Amino acid sequence: MRRFLDALYVASGALAAAFILAIAVLVMAQVSLNIVDRIAAAVNGTALGLTIPSYSDFTGFFLAAASFLALAHTLRSGDHIRVTLLTSRFSGKTSRIFDLLAVGVAFIATVFIAWFCIALVIESYEYGDMSSGMVAVPIWMPQSFVAVGTVILAIALADELHAQLRGQPPSWDNKQTTLMEQGDDS
Amino acid sequence: MTEGIAAVGVLLLLFVFLGAGIWVAFSLLFVGSIAMVIFTDAPVGQVLATTLWGHANSWALAALPLFIWMGEILFRSRLSDDLFEGLSPWLGKLPGRLLHVNVFGCGLFAAVSGSSAATAATVGKLSIPELIRRGYPEQMVLGTLAGSATLGLLIPPSIILIVYGVATEQSIARLFMAGVLPGAMLVILFAGFVAIWSLLNPSAIPEELESFTMRERVHRSRRLIPVLLLILGVIGSIYTGVASPTDAAAVGVMLALVLAWQSGSLSYKTFTAGLMGATRTSCMIAFILAGAAFLTVAMGFTGIPSMLASWIASYELSTLALIAALTVFFIIMGCFLDGISVVVLTTSVIMPMVDGAGIDPLWFGIYIVIVVEMSQITPPVGFNLFVLQSLTGRDILTISRAALPFFMLMLLALVLIVVFPSIVTFLPDRM
Repeated sequence: MRRFLDALYVASGALAAAFILAIAVLVMAQVSLNIVDRIAAAVNGTALGLTIPSYSDFTGFFLAAASFLALAHTLRSGDHIRVTLLTSRFSGKTSRIFDLLAVGVAFIATVFIAWFCIALVIESYEYGDMSSGMVAVPIWMPQSFVAVGTVILAIALADELHAQLRGQPPSWDNKQTTLMEQGDDS
Repeated sequence: MTEGIAAVGVLLLLFVFLGAGIWVAFSLLFVGSIAMVIFTDAPVGQVLATTLWGHANSWALAALPLFIWMGEILFRSRLSDDLFEGLSPWLGKLPGRLLHVNVFGCGLFAAVSGSSAATAATVGKLSIPELIRRGYPEQMVLGTLAGSATLGLLIPPSIILIVYGVATEQSIARLFMAGVLPGAMLVILFAGFVAIWSLLNPSAIPEELESFTMRERVHRSRRLIPVLLLILGVIGSIYTGVASPTDAAAVGVMLALVLAWQSGSLSYKTFTAGLMGATRTSCMIAFILAGAAFLTVAMGFTGIPSMLASWIASYELSTLALIAALTVFFIIMGCFLDGISVVVLTTSVIMPMVDGAGIDPLWFGIYIVIVVEMSQITPPVGFNLFVLQSLTGRDILTISRAALPFFMLMLLALVLIVVFPSIVTFLPDRM
């Protein structure tokens, strides 16, 4: 179970990174076409009008997918921002209670969000909503990545709640890569 | 007056959530939901899901992960060595000598990175040990670095200007251009302060024995040329309208990869580390933005911001008085919150007030970024202070005392853009 969950978080994080990479490749491809177009316009006097159909729509979809799929992985790496000014001053037990409180609140919020994101996907599917660009995509497809991301985050928070109630430290403890450590990679 | 109480209640609730250590994005989402349930009978869940989807799926926001990634790639490259190596032969004769490496190094790195923490770390990891070893006064070394690194927020590409642009539906390209002259002005103010301080304290600055001929200087700086071309390419293509910020970011990523590959610092390990780091940072920011978008929508449903705006308007404050009051409010908030949270809170609650007072939202974006820059070096919560603490082992109070003159210089910069707003609007008006 432990290994399955960890693999789930890493896999969804890696998929999110793949979407970011896809954004870079897609936008870069379009920029190259723009350059070819300009050269053609300079040589022939007319532009070829090369475009990747609906590329800005797809960029947006990829970004939404990346942002939500990475949520659980980002949580466990300790990269979501929280204000620890007050809570870090407390000693072991009190700060554990604050950690539990934060995880509990986040869990409730995420279950709520995931529920309505799934409802949104079902609604888009039933109404057959399509994206408005040249290439019309059923909108439930990109939306389901968002729903899946929130579900994985809910699982990660349940996992966290369970572990912390059993007295284990938060999964993000000592994981935050400080800038110094990052610098040492190079 | 009830709207005043409601607004204070919502803000108070938000601070309770934030203070209890609940993640910023969740605090925004929770408080937004509560406000909607109390003040309206709109379907909270449906509005939440459509807002999250609508704001996460955005072409303009795609510039965010790409610019973060570009910074991550260059952060892992040999750029920090190149900055010291390439800048020092030019600056040895100025009053203040190599202290200017901090100022100009930060200015340059800020133009390829959108984050002030990354700027402080990249420039500082080489310049701090070098400058201390050569006998420069510690207080000035720390102060110049802490102050100048905040330029990462203002000089394009700037992550926080993307956040502001997306949240307030302003053109990111115009915001980027608006940041160029104020950024350059701050560089001049900082360098001027270093020069004047050094003329007043000539004994504190060590002699530089090396002297360079023009040829040697150019030769030593040759590795900076690709970076300068990268900066010119990104800023130039946005200014001339050839590329949108998202396009420019994608090209920037590719050129940064080429630079890293050429300098031999690109490996499978650094590539994936940079990409995963960018994925996480952009996820964190996108989630906060989604939370802030929902809070904005929820506040719109409650009508609190517009009531607040008319309530403030009824006092008939002058624009100047309003800006002065907001500056004090933001500086206090910035002591406890990170910059992105300050910006998104502003856009959810305060923006209608600013619009109502007839303040140009483009100008206001630059104004708030300078205030956020100041908050980076104020204790107890200032991200640049944290970075410098981990780089030097000095405590936050020592570092913030060293940074105090630079805080005052930024305050002066605020006064200057209030008196001469065209410092901000000159370039965007000519696009």
